[in-house]
Amino acid sequence: MDYVHSVWSYLASICNCWQCTEDPGAQPNEPNERTHLLVDPVNHSPALRRSNSDGLSTDYAHSLPKKDDQNALSRLVQNTAINMINVGAMDCHSLEHQEYADRIRLYSQRLHQQWNNGQHASIAPKGLLKDVPSHQFYLSKPIHPDDTAQIKLFTEKAHISVSAIQIDHKEAVVVPFRIP
Amino acid sequence: MSDDIKKYLDGLLQKVSGLYVIQITDRDGVPLLRVSQEKNVDFALMPSFIPTFTTACDQASKLGLGRNKTIISMYSNYQVVQMNKLPLILTFVGAENCNTGHILALEHQVDGYLEDIKQAVTEA
Repeated sequence: MDYVHSVWSYLASICNCWQCTEDPGAQPNEPNERTHLLVDPVNHSPALRRSNSDGLSTDYAHSLPKKDDQNALSRLVQNTAINMINVGAMDCHSLEHQEYADRIRLYSQRLHQQWNNGQHASIAPKGLLKDVPSHQFYLSKPIHPDDTAQIKLFTEKAHISVSAIQIDHKEAVVVPFRIP
Repeated sequence: MSDDIKKYLDGLLQKVSGLYVIQITDRDGVPLLRVSQEKNVDFALMPSFIPTFTTACDQASKLGLGRNKTIISMYSNYQVVQMNKLPLILTFVGAENCNTGHILALEHQVDGYLEDIKQAVTEA
């Protein structure tokens, strides 16, 4: 009997040893022949979990419509409306006759008011002497006769030289293109 | 002052042969200034014509060709050039054979005057 018991314990120790040598080699995440294809299918079955009413609201909270989702949805609808080419909307912009007349009156009133206030610097005529601070002073000064004579002399010389310009062409003015 | 601007616009009108009307309106087609040659254009259509341009401009920007500034419409008897100067709309009406390039070149000459007129609309 002792002999049988010792043999049994020996076999048990060998089995333990095999288990020991087998386990370290196998990585916990690596699939082997003992890995379940479905990860704990019983516990993750939605049908079973639904029976637990406490967990329902927490588990499916992300799938219920929230305020952010509604905002995103309305933004999406708005963007689509903005990007859509809507030819039908062209008829909507017609003013009532009364409002039209009122606005004409309002605008003309404002324009008159604005122009009477003198706020129209941008449309003042731009003259040649706009950079001269006191052009009246320079314009009112009498011109010296010598200056006038000099300017007249220069003008005459310029006129003579411009009229003396001649073009002496040596080749034909019209050049025929050699189109075959 | 109003007369000065009208005179200036009248001068522009004379510069471009075949140009009948220069009109400055708000985006709903309410006129602020208008100069025209006496004959010619039937103004009955104008009030509804201009807001349509505003909408067409908005819708045309969605076609993927970028933001729209000017629309030129050619008809059998007239051509209409409309420019987006929001809050103002600048409208030119000319003969069908009027030089469109000349009309477009008027834009820069009118621009300086528009700044003052814009204030009247934006205050409203």
